[in-house]
Amino acid sequence: MVLRTLAIAAAFSGAVVAAAQAESWTYTDGSGQTVTLDAVPQRIIASQDAAAGLIPLGIRPVGIYADSPVAEAKALEGLDLAGIEIIGQAWGEVDIEKAAALEPDLIIAEWWNRNAVWSGGENVVATLSQIAPITGVSAGDSIVGMIEDYEVLAQSLGADLAAPAIAQNKTAFETAVADFKAAVASKPGLTALAVYAGDDALYVADPAGAAELLDMQSWGLDIVKPQGVDATGNNYFETVSWENADRYQADLILVDNRAESTMATALAQPTWTLMKAAEAGQVAEWPAFWLRNYKAYAGALTDLTAAINAADPDLTP
Amino acid sequence: MTIVQATTIAAVRRSRQSHATRVTFGLLAALLAAAIAAMLLGDFAVPPETVLQSLFSPLTGIANKGVDFIVLQVRLPRLVLALLSGAAFGLSGIIFQTLLRNPLASPDIIGIAHGASAAAVFCIIVLGWGGLSVSLGAFAGAVLTAIAIYLLAWRNGVTAYRVVLIGIGAAAMLSAVISYLFTRARLNEVQQAMAWLVGSLNAAQPADSIVLAITMVVILPALFVLVRGLDGLELGDDTAHALGTHVEHTRLGLMLVAVALAAFATAAVGPVGFVAFVSGPIARRLMGGAGRGFPQAALVGALVMLVSDLVAQHALPSTQLPTGVVTGAFGATFLLWLLVVSGRSGRVN
Amino acid sequence: MEASVVEARASRAAALGLGLLLLAAALIAVILLSMATGARAIPVDMVWSALTAFDPNSTEHRIVWDLRLPRTLVGVLVGLALGLSGAVLQGATRNPLADPSILGINSGAALFVVLGVSVFGITQLGFYVWLAFIGAGVAMLVVYSVASLGREGATPIKLALAGAAMTAIMLAVINAILLTSPRTLDEVRFWQVGSLAGRSMDIALQVSPFIAIGAALALMSARLLDGLSMGDDVARALGQRIGLSRALAGLAAVILAGAAVAAAGPIAFVGLTIPHVARAITGPGYRWILPYSMLMAPILLLGADIIGRVIAPPGEVQVGIVTAFIGAPFFIALVRRRKLAAL
Repeated sequence: MVLRTLAIAAAFSGAVVAAAQAESWTYTDGSGQTVTLDAVPQRIIASQDAAAGLIPLGIRPVGIYADSPVAEAKALEGLDLAGIEIIGQAWGEVDIEKAAALEPDLIIAEWWNRNAVWSGGENVVATLSQIAPITGVSAGDSIVGMIEDYEVLAQSLGADLAAPAIAQNKTAFETAVADFKAAVASKPGLTALAVYAGDDALYVADPAGAAELLDMQSWGLDIVKPQGVDATGNNYFETVSWENADRYQADLILVDNRAESTMATALAQPTWTLMKAAEAGQVAEWPAFWLRNYKAYAGALTDLTAAINAADPDLTP
Repeated sequence: MTIVQATTIAAVRRSRQSHATRVTFGLLAALLAAAIAAMLLGDFAVPPETVLQSLFSPLTGIANKGVDFIVLQVRLPRLVLALLSGAAFGLSGIIFQTLLRNPLASPDIIGIAHGASAAAVFCIIVLGWGGLSVSLGAFAGAVLTAIAIYLLAWRNGVTAYRVVLIGIGAAAMLSAVISYLFTRARLNEVQQAMAWLVGSLNAAQPADSIVLAITMVVILPALFVLVRGLDGLELGDDTAHALGTHVEHTRLGLMLVAVALAAFATAAVGPVGFVAFVSGPIARRLMGGAGRGFPQAALVGALVMLVSDLVAQHALPSTQLPTGVVTGAFGATFLLWLLVVSGRSGRVN
Repeated sequence: MEASVVEARASRAAALGLGLLLLAAALIAVILLSMATGARAIPVDMVWSALTAFDPNSTEHRIVWDLRLPRTLVGVLVGLALGLSGAVLQGATRNPLADPSILGINSGAALFVVLGVSVFGITQLGFYVWLAFIGAGVAMLVVYSVASLGREGATPIKLALAGAAMTAIMLAVINAILLTSPRTLDEVRFWQVGSLAGRSMDIALQVSPFIAIGAALALMSARLLDGLSMGDDVARALGQRIGLSRALAGLAAVILAGAAVAAAGPIAFVGLTIPHVARAITGPGYRWILPYSMLMAPILLLGADIIGRVIAPPGEVQVGIVTAFIGAPFFIALVRRRKLAAL
């Protein structure tokens, strides 16, 4: 697929530009648009998620725009950001002059198919795409698939995926997946429930809306699908009053960990323990929506594997 | 005796006029200085002569791609939008304050801005819109709110008293709507809505300025005509009636103008707070009774907006603040200043 | 003649006393309704057995005991505080439009809570209360001073405008903080709307001493408010210390409003509407207006909360929204009346 695009792009640029350089770079992004540049882009501005996907593969952007203060951005946790200019730390805000001063060759964001928008907000995209073309992978139905897309993108940008540190992360991830599958297989009948806990209500996630939950399902984990999801407006949660916290029972509860406070909110609810798994302490963190690289994914899987191994799979029929 | 009187009156009038002229030129000079600063300052370093060269590049044809982008596509649209929206807010504010005879009665206090905000938040969170459609929604929200306030305040005519208080009631209710929508949405939508609510020039596009400029060109002549009817109005409703002025017509016309100005400006830059609120009182103080101060309020509004935006961009080295944060802080300071100054003189306006 | 006046006064007092009893009965009915209403259908007899013979193994009993009882209790406390606070404010300022939300007191409290959460990382409700008090007090002082400027003094319209301006400024600062910190935004957005949902017994216990003190102060100030209602000159001639009376009443109002905001977030219009309804029933005289407000406000607040619980399943509409939609039309109707009753 990529090879074909490359071939088409090469033919195209060869036809139009007489002096097409062999070095020319082309990439077809998640929205189906193809970006072609005269040379492999060196100076990249990345959204926080794209940065989380690319930095561990050895592609260091010159600038990052985040949705929140970088310290609070879960996706960037544990990454070395030294020397990278932060050009935005609030949703929809980016310093255009700083961005221009970085003289980027390319902007990399993520394409959200469901809303048909680039990540980061319309204003940011409109502003940044004036200085350089914008491209990126599609936020798909599998985090593994997205990481593989990032590998393709990084490779085209000159990354050496065979470098020991990078290859090692991938091997560690594969081990973590194998351990996870083994743990799930050793607990037949174990069910899991992914939730976000708010002060107003409990929100039960439909795994169809979260790429990492779909991955885990494909590795054998039985995740409860809520019945009352209102799918309009890209909603993949069912709102459940705390009075009905026992509507869905499972052996393991996964709590959205984008904000630390969510777990605290959950534990503070008097009816939290109406769920048998909560009562039994079979609660783990759900790395909701933010995983973009093997290292973070392996870490999250290891924690989940431990929780599964410790869980009693027969709390619920 | 009559001759003496006439000459004295003429002298007073002349001195008032020259004071007004001095104030106007002073404000224009300050605006010019701020505009120059806005064109020169930025994280992307451009020497002054290059800025000048870039400004004239459409004429001279001497292009410098990177610099031209910063000067012509980033700084210039932002400057123009700040000037236009600031002037629109300032004018809208002083019209409301004059009509309602209270220096605190500006569109961002009596519900107009709240209507625009609630509509915009609804568009973002419930309808999932972005960009221009949100601006249109905000515009509709401002206009509908203004109409509703006017109709609710109507009872054998409209009094300033009822417009202000009903506007405040509407503002409280619309704020509740915004808070409710915030709890019904996902966090990133709330963030998007919040960014719009604070108001910012960060995403200034040439199209915003063009729309606003056309609005001003259409509205200003109407305003000029209507302002002549104001002399009767300021005497108070009863006196104005006695004088036979078409009180309601003039008032309605002026309110339409003020609402349109506020709505267009809000649609372009968001409900940047307190520019409308502070411009009128500042202009009047500068004028010191030498005229109604409408043009001066527009200039003050533009100046407040431009300087606030400069501060927002350059005050903190690491982050750009939204413009509305700075104008909000400015509004708070102004209110306290009003408190101190009026405490001394015993007058609010 | 003399005797008939005394008789009439006694019978009026008896009627009003009876009215208080009826209100108390209505409040108890609403409390029971609140205990019986929720997302989960629990039969009334089971609610009753949960209260009388609690069985920790019964899910329904736990829901009644852990969720509905604290929520109802907080509702009663907050309603009582808002009603009294509004009545006292209207009396002390002699202003029919005085209300903790219109005067910007709620938003002052809200700003300090948001500052506490974002700048100092405070998440414990015990501190919310203190922050809310300081914020409420500061806002009230500033608003009252701004409105008192000028010759006519603090007229209703000037107070309302100063309060609205204060609210707008507080809101600008709050928004600025929330914009740069999604974490605080996420924490605060559910609090900011004014809600009784998820309030635990701890919250009720923490604010109840403050509300008790505030209520005691408010009820004690009834005589002072009656004095003030005759006008400053008359009150002064009768030997009342005007400044002290206002300060005492203001303190009561700030304690009550601050505690209410700390427990439930900023809830608008309850403090505005209830005293007017109370006054319409009792006539002037704060000895009756205050206890009536104190009983009627919780009925309104709990009633609004019950409506909010059932109106939009599976979600809830927060009580602050419901009261705004009940209160704002009332406010507008009040303003449209030809002449506002001078207080």
